[in-house]
Amino acid sequence: MGGRKKFPTKKLFLQAIFESSLEAIFIVDQRDRIVEVNAAACELFNQIEKKLIGSSIANLCGCSLDCFKESAIQEVKIKHSNGTITTLEYSRVSNILPSYSLLVFRDVTNLQRAVAAELHRQHQRVQLFAEVTLNIRRSLQLKEILQTAVTEVQRILQADRVLIYQVLANGTGMPISEAVLPEYEPILGIEFPEEVFPEDYRQLYAGGRVNAIANVHATEAGLAECLIDFMNEWKVKAKLVVPILQNLKSQSKPNGDRLWGLLIAHQCQAPRQWSEFELELMQQLADQVGIALSQAELLENLEDLVAERTAKLSQANKNLQQEINVRLKAESALRRSEEQLRLIANGLPVLIAYVDQQQHYRFNNEAYQNWLGLPPSEINGCHLQKVHGEAEYKQIQTYVETALTGQTVTYEQDIALIDGCVHSLSITYIPHLIEQNKLDVVQGFFALTSDISDRKAIERMKDEFIAVVSHELRTPLTSIHSSLKILATGKLGNLSTKGQRMLQIADEQTERLVRLVNNVLDLQRIQSGKVRMTKKACNASELMIEAVQTMQAMAQEQGVKLLVEPVNFVVWADHDYIVQTLTNLLSNAIKFSPSRSTVWLSATNTKHKPIDYITFAVQDQGQGIPKDGLETIFERFQQVDSSDSRKKGGTGLGLAICRQIVEGHGGEIWAESSLETGSTFYFTLPALIQLGVNDHDG
Amino acid sequence: MIMTDKCILLIDDEETIQEVVQVGIEIEVGWQVAIASSGLEGINLARTEQPDAILLDVMMPELDGISTLSQLKANVQTRSIPVIFLTAKTQAAEKEQFQNLGVVDVITKPFNAMTLASRIAKILDWEL
Repeated sequence: MGGRKKFPTKKLFLQAIFESSLEAIFIVDQRDRIVEVNAAACELFNQIEKKLIGSSIANLCGCSLDCFKESAIQEVKIKHSNGTITTLEYSRVSNILPSYSLLVFRDVTNLQRAVAAELHRQHQRVQLFAEVTLNIRRSLQLKEILQTAVTEVQRILQADRVLIYQVLANGTGMPISEAVLPEYEPILGIEFPEEVFPEDYRQLYAGGRVNAIANVHATEAGLAECLIDFMNEWKVKAKLVVPILQNLKSQSKPNGDRLWGLLIAHQCQAPRQWSEFELELMQQLADQVGIALSQAELLENLEDLVAERTAKLSQANKNLQQEINVRLKAESALRRSEEQLRLIANGLPVLIAYVDQQQHYRFNNEAYQNWLGLPPSEINGCHLQKVHGEAEYKQIQTYVETALTGQTVTYEQDIALIDGCVHSLSITYIPHLIEQNKLDVVQGFFALTSDISDRKAIERMKDEFIAVVSHELRTPLTSIHSSLKILATGKLGNLSTKGQRMLQIADEQTERLVRLVNNVLDLQRIQSGKVRMTKKACNASELMIEAVQTMQAMAQEQGVKLLVEPVNFVVWADHDYIVQTLTNLLSNAIKFSPSRSTVWLSATNTKHKPIDYITFAVQDQGQGIPKDGLETIFERFQQVDSSDSRKKGGTGLGLAICRQIVEGHGGEIWAESSLETGSTFYFTLPALIQLGVNDHDG
Repeated sequence: MIMTDKCILLIDDEETIQEVVQVGIEIEVGWQVAIASSGLEGINLARTEQPDAILLDVMMPELDGISTLSQLKANVQTRSIPVIFLTAKTQAAEKEQFQNLGVVDVITKPFNAMTLASRIAKILDWEL
């Protein structure tokens, strides 16, 4: 090489570097023709130096002429004559000397392959990991997760046995999941003795130690003898142990130990050197199992919560259902009872209705509709005025208003019903009272209406019958009575003493019969309302004196003293009827008084708001009336002793007439009696004016 | 002093009443009692006999007491003869109604024929 120059010592040193450099070095001229190469360059292009000198670097590499112009590190692929492709990295330093440039080439073919292989491996790991994670996560059931984990690890590592060992609180533990080749004995569910898993191991694992033992028998493994025996028992030659740590507090053991268990791979066939990848995979899977544990616990908690909540809800639901059942039963009972009530109400031949405070019908039975000829919609919820019409409403308004003040009202009314006939109705309003704050509040009233037309007709017939009979009795009575009286004069011939006595009996009994007929007629007239009491202001004393005068003869006959105490009261009364009442009472008193006794007639003023009453009293010293007879004596034909009637010649109607008269005046009549001291009959009349001071306050 | 010069006309369809009234009055005061069994007969007798008073039964077949009374009051010959009704009806209202028709009073059945003359004398203010 003629152009070659000698380098000084330093140059020699540099030359040595040049010669021994592993990188291919080319010195090129301005046209990129090679002027100098080193040994590595010859090796790279598999050419001797001579062949390379003078040739173009572009030609050499099979590139275009503008190649290798860049000064930065570039990559270029060259195809060798044998077809192999080499990837080169080159850098160019132009004009290292005037007109000469330096090109340095490095073969990076192998480096690139290694990188690609590593990338591929990493990609595979990621894929595998993702796949395993996906498989593990596919289930939320812890047992299934653990089983998947061991199965996957066993598959990937091609281990003979993979198990998940759960550390128990007492220091022992047992495999709870296992994937094992059929030729080896399963270890699942077998509790590991405490010495196999001593406390210090446990702490190491809890600290995150990964224990990879290539050969359990090797001294460097440092395994305790008992553990080696245990390993032998299960034919374990190599093992890889990673801890499964938990992060949830609830799962932590009281000492703060986060160690839940271990993921263990066993190699039984032969010792095994565990790769980093395998360690890493195991660790990552153990982490996944840890996460799954946490999730499972969360889920379990959630499930517990859901179960608890569901239980509560189902209990609440059950209670609700029960309540609904109870209500349904009550409602059905109510409906039944309502139906029964309606059936009964509809079956009754009376009109039943309920009217509220605002005078609207709220209930009515079928009879109501039939009688009024109205559909239910035109009764229920409607105002009384609308249902009955203006005119009829005016007639009943007072009664309605009275009922709504809380008083029971009964009245009779003649109304033309839908059949066109006038019916006599008896109507009763019963107030519906509800106690509020200890006060009765009227909510409305029940209206009961019954058709009393038949009863009225019968009453009329009875009245007519009585009238006719009484009338027809009077004429023959007149003849009998008169004949007897004529005979008694003796002017038509004298009778024997016995004959006279018979005549007397006939006469007395005729008079009694006359009284009876008169009384029957009186009572019937008063009761039927045919009698109109002609009331006016009457001086009580005058009434009393008139009655006493009437009865004086009878009293004298009986030897009874009749005393009257004059008063200055004025009463509102029918003169004749009150005299009749007083006369009746006096007559009774005289009749039942022993001779030489006294009958008193008096009157007192009784203050009884809003109206003052005058109370008349007829007192005798007779035999008295038993207590149970005090009320009944005012009924028709109710004498204390029926023999009295015959003995005393009474009709049994006198007191009944008195009561009718007194009640017709708005007064009351009653009797008080003691069997020793006699009886007092009282009756009241409304007082009008007090005339003087000579009154007797009662 | 017993008044024997009075003549009473009884108009009543009941024979027993006719008899007891006639006998009773005769025995009590000795008055003459003329009898008519119907309203028409009574009107005729009243005209011909000109009694001092007429006792007139209200309930009679054919011409009843009220119609008989109105004919008696319509006739000049009889209108001034006092008429007393005999009736089985006892109501005060009816009594008033009868008095409005022109009767002097009403005597209700049953009455005592033996005291009838006294009652008539009292009503008509006759001295016995």
